[in-house]
Amino acid sequence: MTYKKKNQIKNGEKTRRDFLNILLSGGFIAWVGAVVYPLISYLRPPQVEVVKVNSVNIGKITDMDKDSGKIIKFGNDPVIVIKLSDGEFRAFSASCTHLDCIVQYRKDYGQIYCACHNGRYDLHGRNISGPPPAPLAKYEIAIKNDEVTVYKPSA
Amino acid sequence: MKETFNKKIYNALNERFQLDNLVSFLKHKSVPKYRNTIWYYFGGISLLLFIVQVATGILLIMYYKGSEDLAYESIKFINAKVSFGWLIRSIHSWSANLMILAVFVHMFSVYFLKAFRKPRELTWYTGVILLFLSMGFGFSGYLLPWDQLAFFATKVGTDIAGQLPFVGDFLLKLLRGGEDVTGATLSRFFGLHVALLPGVFVVFLSLHLIFIQRQGMSEPEDWKNKKESEKTTIPFFPNFTVHDLLIWLIVINILAILATFFPWELGPKADAFVSAPVGIKPEWYFLFMFQSLKYIPAKVWLIEGELLGILGFGLAGLLWVLVPFWDSKTPKGKRNKIINYVGIFAISFIIIFTILGYLLD
Amino acid sequence: MYKYIIYLFLSLIILNTSFAKTNNKINSRVIQQKADECLTCHFDNESNNNEPAHLFKQDIHFSKGIACAGCHGGDSSKDDMDEAMDKNKGYIGILSKEERYQVCVKCHSDPNKMKSFGSNIPTDQFEKLKGSIHFIKSVNAVTPIADCVTCHSVHNIASVKDPRSKVYPANVPSLCKSCHSNPTFMKQYNPSLPVDQYEKYRTSVHGKQNLKGDAKVAECVSCHGNHDILSVKNSKSPVYPSNVPQLCSTCHSDKNLMDKYKLPHDQYENYKGSIHGEALFVKQDLSAPACNDCHGNHGATPPGVESISNVCGTCHAFNAELFAKSPHKKAFDKLKYPECITCHSNHKIVHATDELLGVAKNSKCVQCHKNEPNDKGFMIAAEMKSLFDSLESADKISLDLLKSASQKGMDVSEADYSLKQIKQILIQARTITHLSDIKEFKDKMDEGFIITNKTKQAGLDAIDEFYFRRYGLGIATIIITFLVVLLYIKTKRIDKKK
Repeated sequence: MTYKKKNQIKNGEKTRRDFLNILLSGGFIAWVGAVVYPLISYLRPPQVEVVKVNSVNIGKITDMDKDSGKIIKFGNDPVIVIKLSDGEFRAFSASCTHLDCIVQYRKDYGQIYCACHNGRYDLHGRNISGPPPAPLAKYEIAIKNDEVTVYKPSA
Repeated sequence: MKETFNKKIYNALNERFQLDNLVSFLKHKSVPKYRNTIWYYFGGISLLLFIVQVATGILLIMYYKGSEDLAYESIKFINAKVSFGWLIRSIHSWSANLMILAVFVHMFSVYFLKAFRKPRELTWYTGVILLFLSMGFGFSGYLLPWDQLAFFATKVGTDIAGQLPFVGDFLLKLLRGGEDVTGATLSRFFGLHVALLPGVFVVFLSLHLIFIQRQGMSEPEDWKNKKESEKTTIPFFPNFTVHDLLIWLIVINILAILATFFPWELGPKADAFVSAPVGIKPEWYFLFMFQSLKYIPAKVWLIEGELLGILGFGLAGLLWVLVPFWDSKTPKGKRNKIINYVGIFAISFIIIFTILGYLLD
Repeated sequence: MYKYIIYLFLSLIILNTSFAKTNNKINSRVIQQKADECLTCHFDNESNNNEPAHLFKQDIHFSKGIACAGCHGGDSSKDDMDEAMDKNKGYIGILSKEERYQVCVKCHSDPNKMKSFGSNIPTDQFEKLKGSIHFIKSVNAVTPIADCVTCHSVHNIASVKDPRSKVYPANVPSLCKSCHSNPTFMKQYNPSLPVDQYEKYRTSVHGKQNLKGDAKVAECVSCHGNHDILSVKNSKSPVYPSNVPQLCSTCHSDKNLMDKYKLPHDQYENYKGSIHGEALFVKQDLSAPACNDCHGNHGATPPGVESISNVCGTCHAFNAELFAKSPHKKAFDKLKYPECITCHSNHKIVHATDELLGVAKNSKCVQCHKNEPNDKGFMIAAEMKSLFDSLESADKISLDLLKSASQKGMDVSEADYSLKQIKQILIQARTITHLSDIKEFKDKMDEGFIITNKTKQAGLDAIDEFYFRRYGLGIATIIITFLVVLLYIKTKRIDKKK
């Protein structure tokens, strides 16, 4: 009788302790969640608003040599501006359509060239050799009072 | 099932790292249980708050930019754009203040319980160094948001350092990185706050903790003559640890409540050409010194009043630090009432001048 | 009585002696003037009517009995030249430029003397002249630009009411012109001052009437003053910008005078209440247009119906430019509607509100456009007005949301900042309404709607975030409290186990 009772108490205590431990670990997990959730959210970088750019002034006509190219920042996008040997300006997206490397103007080839995988585009932005799967997007050029401005292609 | 799984892991680790030793060490470590046991928790609270500081500080560095042009904007960015950024920053600021408060309470409790006496002098010294380092953290961290209040508080604070004889000018330039508080000062303080101070702090904190583990908890004075069996103690593990955990949880909750309901403010951006804001004062833990300096006349004999005040505080601080040296009675088992009087004087001095600093502008 | 007899007797003797000494034939006037030997002699020696003695006989001073000696000094009773022109007797001869105005001042600044000649003209001319630009400015620091004789002439001075006088109203423009239209002369004093005032004046209604001999219309001195002419930059000058409306109103608000010309007389009252009048009088904004800025000053003429937008466009450039491109320009000119004035009125231009636009009863659009199926203007007016209303209310909604968010302690300064652009967009859109092109207008307004939508969202997000923080804290507190309670039970149990 007493043994049984003692045993019951012991069992009861044991189950109660188990229950407490389970609750404790549950509570602990919930607490960890309450700490980790803000931490993870904090570490995820917030969306930085992209500044809407419609045009970029790149300076005077004479600022660029004939038969040369340069990369300009158009908002968050790189754009390559090329001044042909006859003085004409052209602009294209500078992100290679293959793997987004930044392309360059190669005087010796008279082509736009991507150094990453030897991709080539002609001076109209058309992909002519190498891995690039598509032509470069064209940007528009406007010249007013000797100032050269690059415009976003009108959709 | 679960138990056996936990056991398995424990056994596996035990095999490699001899955890049993550690457990038995912890189990044998005990904390005296009497009416002053409550004060024994403040060391732990300080430790927790330091850990919180390290964790939130690391998080803040991920977005903070320590330059004159970007510091303020990056804090604004953390506050407004980063999700939970406001929480991390507010917790960092609140926790910094609570940590200094906890360290103060810890120090005074150790002082009044005479826990600094032999053989724990080194624990006391490292503790005092940790207090000074904490204040250094507070002072350097206060400038980092680069808002107006921070800018002028730093200006005034470093000015006071510049008053020191002989080394003042050098110290001023060393702290400011130039003649004035500029971006150079910000860079220095940033480096101090996130590199130099943490490194030094960890060294002294480790020493402090190792000393405690080696020597065990200090027992009250009047237990010296008690027999082992008469001493009531509780084991450090698991009893005291669980109590500690309980208090830590409460402290963390208090931090979250403070951060949510009283988010730490960010004033207008610092501008060297704006007149100092009215009622400018330093952080509260420097306020009692700042305030008492105001009461010293401009000239006492041939010495400048402010300099006298600074030297006075320096001397008082030194005496305070060296208390294990000049307290010759306690180690001999006698009551040393002077210690208590000095302590009460120090506490009342700090409290009164802090209140004065807040009431009088 | 005895006294008078002696006077009579004495004068008879003087008359007798003078008769005795002059054997020449005697002009009837000379008798009145007593005997003026200077005049007699000079008159005889002169060859034509333009010489001093001849001229002087027409002079008002001569008729008042003032002899040559009155100005030139000497003794006019002596026929001997040496005696008459004796320097010891105060003979001056030809007056120098430095002192010639002083002879005039001798009498004209002395009220008693003037009264003794039976004249009641004012005596403050010299006081006024002294402060005037003609007197102050000088090339040689000694002689003024203009003194009395410059305008009033020398020997044939006549009353201002006498048409022969150089200062008679109809003669004034020619008088002033003699210097002010001479570039070489004017350059000495003010190289930047125009010299075309006379030309312009003659194109104005004032100038044309003046030429017909109308003495009532404004000529130079009516506006600039006579003796006390000040620079236009001097705030006391009647032609100083903020004084101009009152100046014009002296005639143009005079009902009796204006009725003669069949002109209205309420322009000044209207102008005073207008936005331009308020700017000029209350805000003391000297760049605000006074009468002359629209009507011209010397060439004052009401602008023609078709050129009104050019007049207003000198300041309201954008509005005028857009209006010129709008379909209204052509239609208004065809219908002889006075462009800007059609909607904004002329002298009483009040602050333009959005109420001018739209199809409500008091809007300007419905004065021409009717709610008919083929009246596109009616639809456009209605749409523009409703877009204005909705952008303004959207702006208010965003503003309120941001306000309540910031009262809750949330940082919405960025949205607050971008919302400030709405005001600018509204101003620009109000300008664009002058083009009456719904597409251009919508493009501008859409910029505003994008901002109000964004800021509204920012406000809502901030308020949501506020509650999210509170609820998040609540949940965390519940979890921690739960844990704390469990841990407390656990500690009790552990303590008990020992």
